[in-house]
Amino acid sequence: MTNQILISLGAVVILWAVAWQLPSLKIRQAVLLGASYLFYANWGIDFLLVLIASSVLNYVLGIWLRRQPSVGRLWIGVTLNILLLGFFKYLPPLIEPAAINSSLADLVRHVVMPVGISFWTFQGLSFLFDTYREEELDPSLVEFCLYMAFWPTVLAGPICRLPNMLPQFRRIATFNSADISVGAQRLLQGIIMKMVLAQILASGLSPGAGVNAGFDQIKSGWGGLDVLLLGIGFGFQLFFDFAGYSHMVIGAARLFGIHLEENFDRPFLSLTPSAFWTRWHMSLSFWIRDYVFVPLAAARREIWWQYFALIFAMTLFGLWHAAKATFVVWGIYQGLVIVAHRLGQRIKRRLPFTWPAFLGALLSWVSTFCLLSLGWIFFRAHDLNQAWAMLRAVLIPSSYDQFALPESFYILVPLTAVSYLFCKQMESFVAAWSKHYSLQLQMSGERLDSFAPPGSLARINLVLVALFNFFSERLWWWLTPAVFVVAVFISLAIFSQTSAIAVTPFMYTIF
Amino acid sequence: MNGQAQEVINYIVKDVIRRPGVEIREDTPLVSSGLIDSLALVNILLKVEDVTQMRIPAGKVRPKDMDTVNLMFATAQRLGKPRK
Repeated sequence: MTNQILISLGAVVILWAVAWQLPSLKIRQAVLLGASYLFYANWGIDFLLVLIASSVLNYVLGIWLRRQPSVGRLWIGVTLNILLLGFFKYLPPLIEPAAINSSLADLVRHVVMPVGISFWTFQGLSFLFDTYREEELDPSLVEFCLYMAFWPTVLAGPICRLPNMLPQFRRIATFNSADISVGAQRLLQGIIMKMVLAQILASGLSPGAGVNAGFDQIKSGWGGLDVLLLGIGFGFQLFFDFAGYSHMVIGAARLFGIHLEENFDRPFLSLTPSAFWTRWHMSLSFWIRDYVFVPLAAARREIWWQYFALIFAMTLFGLWHAAKATFVVWGIYQGLVIVAHRLGQRIKRRLPFTWPAFLGALLSWVSTFCLLSLGWIFFRAHDLNQAWAMLRAVLIPSSYDQFALPESFYILVPLTAVSYLFCKQMESFVAAWSKHYSLQLQMSGERLDSFAPPGSLARINLVLVALFNFFSERLWWWLTPAVFVVAVFISLAIFSQTSAIAVTPFMYTIF
Repeated sequence: MNGQAQEVINYIVKDVIRRPGVEIREDTPLVSSGLIDSLALVNILLKVEDVTQMRIPAGKVRPKDMDTVNLMFATAQRLGKPRK
């Protein structure tokens, strides 16, 4: 299966590159659509037929809605999409455990969810909502199907919006060296995040010493520290996996000049829970904000209604992932955390004293990071019993004497978290330093010696920034060997019988 | 800048952002810059309704229409209906 996918991916890339050179817009779009369908068909012709059916349905609904953008027509469109998604995603898990003996129930039990259905259904829904809001959208059937089946995003997003994609599908293609450079960098970054960092966290430095073992192999007896570190560890594992995937997708699209919206923006640096959800899985978060939360919350003026809307929106966020109680509870928990933060801010404003800004920011970051990390326990646990058992350990002081995982786990997770946070802070520092001294370098011109005498700290900084800029502008001198080495390593890992790192599927393709 | 826009800007600075030194103008990006979150966006939308005495159907509002104070007032003009 993996060989087949890689071969068809190669064919898709070739077709895409050839199509981009075709002079006729309509033929180019048709070839791009054919390439995307060829890619998706690797997961099953049945799945492809469902995708095509959903695309045609939403296209026809869009025409009908454009003629008369009424709430009734919108809700018919929304209901049909929810029914389609519900049939494939939510009904089989509900029927499965029930003792219903009928041929219909048996049929439903055998239904398999098409890969990416949650993502492209939400894309179809966003088209209907945007049409209702009278956005200037007039895609042809081919353009709309291409939007739904766009091969980099069809499996696991990011969830795209037609107003962003349509102009790009219609413009004259030009290969741009900046696009190829940025695209390749993003692709490489994503590969390292997914194939190396996420994998190491999942499997651990030794057998049974990873995040997966903590959830799948240990059945009871977690210590308080185990649970805290499993929450943090899974958060980072999921981030490296899904953000890594997002980098790969954004990079792949960028190689061909298509600019996708970002899906992650340094979420672990968020100072508040609200800020976190503007930086994590942004395409879904903004979808829920724009089409669910804002219309719902603005329906009434009472503060309790706004908090209800917030919890409802986050519950929907959880339910989007799967029809499992753990995801629903995860969503409710995230909503309650945001509401608690809001209430905390109101209390803080009434206090008779203020604390230093740095201390406030630090406390806010620590509490946000810890509360969100504990939330990942619900996301990853097999069922609510496991989740409650794990979270109970956090609240029992005596449980902090218990250690259920191998020693290397207690080094791996904190080291990963601290290293990541340090790297991100250094990135900001280096960017600010480079900007400041690049400007000074420009201003100094021929008066360098008087501006920054040799041997002075200023001179050292100017030399360093000149070197930094030199290598940054010639990224491919040293990036190309790195790309080559990583590509060889991954090829060996995939094709070898005894690979050093087992390549697990992308986590978000199961949603 | 007209009085209604100034009233909304004062509300944003004093009651929403509440941070000293933050300068908001009619064309300052609020949502895309991360200055305000979703709850704050809803409260600002309700404030624009109060100031313009219009009812703005939130279900019809496009995300890009809420990024600046100017855009919010243009949205109120386009979609708003006088309050009863």
